[in-house]
Amino acid sequence: MKILQKYRAVAMISVSMLFAACAQEDQPKETQLDYTVRNKTELDTWIETSFLNPYNIKVYYEWNQNLVDNNRFLFPPTVDRVKPAMEVVKAIWIDSYSTIGGADFVKKISPREFVLVGGTNLNTSGTVTLGIAEGGQRVTLFELDYLNRKSRADVTRFIHTIQHEYVHILNQTKPFDEQAWAKLTPAGYTSSWYIYTDAASRALGFITNYARLNIYEDFAETASIILTSSKAEYDAILASVTDATAKANLKKKEAIVVQYYKDNFGMDFYALRDEAQKNTTTVINN
Amino acid sequence: MKIKHIYKFLLVGLVAVIMGACTSTEADPKFDESPIERLNARKKELNDLLLSSADGWKAVYYTDSTQLGAWTHLFKFLPDGKVDMASDFDDDTDIHRSQYDIQLGSAVSLVFTTANRIHLLSESDNYPTPALVGKGHLGDFQFFYYGQENGEIIFRTNRSFQELRFKKATAKDWDDLHDNTPVIEAITGEITSPLFRLLEINDGAAVQNYDLDYNPDARFGVAASLVPGSNDLINMSFAFTPAGAVVEPPVEVKGQKLTNFSYNSTDDTFVSTGTGGVKATIKYTTVPPVITDDYKKGIDGQPQFVISYIAANLYSAPTTSNYFRSLILKANAALPANQSIARIQIYFNSAFGNYIEYRFNGGRPSVYHNFTTTPNNTAKTLVLNHDSWDNGSAIIPAPAFLKDLDAEFFTPAGMYIKKENFTISFINTIYTMTSASSSFRTTTYQL
Repeated sequence: MKILQKYRAVAMISVSMLFAACAQEDQPKETQLDYTVRNKTELDTWIETSFLNPYNIKVYYEWNQNLVDNNRFLFPPTVDRVKPAMEVVKAIWIDSYSTIGGADFVKKISPREFVLVGGTNLNTSGTVTLGIAEGGQRVTLFELDYLNRKSRADVTRFIHTIQHEYVHILNQTKPFDEQAWAKLTPAGYTSSWYIYTDAASRALGFITNYARLNIYEDFAETASIILTSSKAEYDAILASVTDATAKANLKKKEAIVVQYYKDNFGMDFYALRDEAQKNTTTVINN
Repeated sequence: MKIKHIYKFLLVGLVAVIMGACTSTEADPKFDESPIERLNARKKELNDLLLSSADGWKAVYYTDSTQLGAWTHLFKFLPDGKVDMASDFDDDTDIHRSQYDIQLGSAVSLVFTTANRIHLLSESDNYPTPALVGKGHLGDFQFFYYGQENGEIIFRTNRSFQELRFKKATAKDWDDLHDNTPVIEAITGEITSPLFRLLEINDGAAVQNYDLDYNPDARFGVAASLVPGSNDLINMSFAFTPAGAVVEPPVEVKGQKLTNFSYNSTDDTFVSTGTGGVKATIKYTTVPPVITDDYKKGIDGQPQFVISYIAANLYSAPTTSNYFRSLILKANAALPANQSIARIQIYFNSAFGNYIEYRFNGGRPSVYHNFTTTPNNTAKTLVLNHDSWDNGSAIIPAPAFLKDLDAEFFTPAGMYIKKENFTISFINTIYTMTSASSSFRTTTYQL
């Protein structure tokens, strides 16, 4: 038994050593990453109070190669151009939806990031990309440096991108009546939409050539073209369509859009259009 | 004894565990600092360096010396991420302010984060050659920091990974930048300057001529030997200084490297002088260095030959001369706002004879200028002789708004016609038609 006790004692010491061996460890130190923030410019403060704080939307205007396609020859906007362009976004898109849909409407449903690019996104094929929406979260806006706020055509083209992408985001929250829509002009959808003109596409019951890509683009184009046109302008578009079936289909699509806004968001779509038009006029004249 | 063995093994096991536990798994540090500490130090080093030069930095940026020249940029970095910048990209050599940042990615890089002069090289829709559609001037504005050498900062560009050096600028560099403009304008030429350029190389004994095809927007030229049968081509990538042009790679003559071409305003030449009579000269000429026999396609008895200037595709073609463009704009200005010249289509030897059809946008009907031709076989030009104007059904008086434009086609000196070896947008063969008496040149598709 004696020898057994000796072993037991040795074993006890060993075990206690084993536990004690790991007692001393290096503790992690403070981070080495540089989190110092550059002094905020007037523009940074304006963006924060106009977009980030009220709507939780981050606006990137400084170049970050991770937010853009590095194979493209793009460049960041000129600092002085950012605020005028974002005022247009605020006035025509956010304010119109807030007035008609309620103050919290855009706070609840909106892209979380805007990436601003100064130049044109010209594809090597010669077509121009005006905007990109990624997963409903990030919207990239191009040609910021060339926006002429005094030109209604310029402002309309610029805001059309946002209105279009925002309709997609609304659709992702509440789907529209896809079955009813798909039955209207099923034969006209094509992936080579860009070889057709708007006029030729309207004669088939599509508001623009891009609307012919699929029913989702069709819905977004129909809604955004109405939102960026005055009643008279939109009536003129309809009047230019001579084919009776095409005209009837355009009207049916319009009716589905109007119903969609009413049923899902309790919004009067025409009131939204009028508000957007009123705000567009205000932007151009100021 | 059995239990004793168990304890023995247990004990050996425990000792082994204890020994193992104390083995250090830490690698020997090869550096005194951790990677992040080193990157942070590098970031600070670069920022301090950028801020250290009292008159900022100068970079002569060759974006791709195989097809483009260089643009001189001056930078003055200021605290709090601001930078003042000037460049000789165009005649606006004023200083503009924007923002910069030192970013930490795979390496430390300098990024010009808001638009300024350097971003003009990255405008996708402002491209100097058809090959660069959507790519602009291939410029970068994010540069990876690779250290310093002899007081210069070594960067590599983000996309093409080329070396770009920032040299310390002087107050004189800033003062002189706007003096690059007249030199650039001299080589670009005025709207009425002769269209052709020669590179004349004198090796001290003999003179050899090259046809210099220079693209002012690209700041790049290719000089092709005019010796019959020679395929000798010299690529010339241009940068500019107040004194003249700097050519890369240097023009080699008899082992001498000629790179600095001084501008001589009295005779509008750029001259680089070596030793022993070696000299290279760039100068203008009204006669095309290469004259082809393509004018014969228009003479009587040949098959029908139709060439068409189509405004939508060919107005901006590099071979369309500014003088031609100015006359097009002048004619368009005289038309109602929704109308403009869509095509100038020239028919030789058609079923209806020879005529120029002026076709318009905006619903205006075409007008036709009928002509006869006389070849000038010495000058190798085709002279167009006025016959009549009609509207397709009746004779009409000459339209006043087309007078200046139309008159150029009817110069008594005649027109050079040349089949080009490039295409624009379509596979149609390109022909240029050049006045033998002015800088009028149009680019056309053969239909």
